[in-house]
Amino acid sequence: MSATLRYTKLEVQRILREPRFAIFTIAVPLALFMVDASIFKSSGGFDGIAIAKYLMVSMAVFGAISAALNATGARLAEERRNGWLRQLDITPLSPWSVVTAKTLAAMTLTLPAAALIYLFGALTQGVTLEAWQWLALLLASWLGSLPFAALGVLIGSAGNVDTSQPLVTGSMFFLNIFGGVFIPLQVLPRAMGHIATILPSNRYAELGWAIADGRAPSAVGITVLAAWTVGLCVTGVLAYRRGSVRT
Amino acid sequence: MHAIQFSSVVKQYGAVRAVNTFDLTIGSGQSVALLGPNGAGKSTTISMLLGLATPDAGSIEVFGHTSQEAVKEGLIGAMLQEGDLVPGIKVRELIDFVRRLYPNPLELDEILRLADLTELVDRRTDKLSGGQAQRVRFALAIAGQPHLLVLDEPTAAMDVASRHAFWASMRAYAAQGHTILFATHYLEEADDNADRIVVIDHGQVIADGTGAQIKATTGTRAVRFTLGSQPAAGLQELAGVTSVEIRDDVALLRTDDPDATLHALYASGLRIRDLETDGANLEEAFLSLTGDAA
Repeated sequence: MSATLRYTKLEVQRILREPRFAIFTIAVPLALFMVDASIFKSSGGFDGIAIAKYLMVSMAVFGAISAALNATGARLAEERRNGWLRQLDITPLSPWSVVTAKTLAAMTLTLPAAALIYLFGALTQGVTLEAWQWLALLLASWLGSLPFAALGVLIGSAGNVDTSQPLVTGSMFFLNIFGGVFIPLQVLPRAMGHIATILPSNRYAELGWAIADGRAPSAVGITVLAAWTVGLCVTGVLAYRRGSVRT
Repeated sequence: MHAIQFSSVVKQYGAVRAVNTFDLTIGSGQSVALLGPNGAGKSTTISMLLGLATPDAGSIEVFGHTSQEAVKEGLIGAMLQEGDLVPGIKVRELIDFVRRLYPNPLELDEILRLADLTELVDRRTDKLSGGQAQRVRFALAIAGQPHLLVLDEPTAAMDVASRHAFWASMRAYAAQGHTILFATHYLEEADDNADRIVVIDHGQVIADGTGAQIKATTGTRAVRFTLGSQPAAGLQELAGVTSVEIRDDVALLRTDDPDATLHALYASGLRIRDLETDGANLEEAFLSLTGDAA
């Protein structure tokens, strides 16, 4: 196994041992799933998708964004402070490997968050999908989380220990509320729908809604998500290099 | 090939010249102490040696490579002054991860033995005492079996017993033929654990040699006696005296001519009890070199 992958594995292990992480990425989305499901149970569904299926995808996106941001964000800022990144800097592991491993770890940690929501949807909300759809959902969840992991790297590199957690929390609420993830856009003021279409969170969820509905995802949606991915990866890596700059 | 070569290195932070035309060559296999008061430029020197800071002028070579190359090749291991251990991981996992980053690491058991961590392998890094954490940081520094081991004030957070054990570990690693450079402001540590002491102040080398040589270069001697309630005025003016210190009722005179000073002391009419004279210890030599009051 390459050094980058071994560091990825180490990061995943470390993060999974944090109870706080599981609460924010699994327990909170599950709770919101139950709340939303009871609020919207009389609604027939949105965009032609049954309500339980629609909410399941939304909540998996919520958990995945939360995982991607919390696996990087404040943790990275803390490691810049406590000397761990400096310790790695004086080993043969390159800074590029470090930032790649952190991003991969964050993406990987979206999988348990999303998978538990899917399991909950299938077992308690009566969601039924083909096997390929479940697999495609997991794959989309993993790949589509890249811009959020990069955003977390950006926040953790540009912010310090005090500012990065509020920035992560703020980004999470903004992306989830304005992206139509917490509450379906159809029940919110129309202006919010316009904002949503340019946000990566909405396009990330749209990918899942399409898969759950057995449709091909929209080209526009994928383009928007890809543009955010490129932009955030570039700024994230630049900020990381700057944040750990040699004097 | 030299292990380390600093050639006319300069590093400026704002208006402060932290390191000022620093020249130093260290041969392979030496154990060298970098001794100086706080703010002398020790940490800046070490940061540049490790490639964490770039000199404004001059050059640094480590085994013929630039610092960054030497780090990338796994030739350097270091224990930095600041920093906590990364949390959420067991001692064994952390050490094993770091050792595998190097091309030619020590065996895990060997690292644990050298750092005296065998009992603590399954402990989480966030559940260690300060001294235990320092041992883990030492283990990380030697894990890759680096040719050059760099330690920046390694015992700062340790109690006396931990210090003793720590230096024993360090000497065991040095005995395998590795080059060691450590920074300290504990004079005794430098004298006990290095075969060469480089004294730095204001970013420059001000003395370089064995502990004995450094003591000899200053030529200072100390004269102590019980002064009691007698006045201290006038002691400073006695022949040869370079400084006077009164602690409780004991007077300590540093002199560069002890014979003349003793002569003058007895002629002064003071009642001299409990007289002792000795060669300067390293601390006194150090103070005389750096011109610092303790």
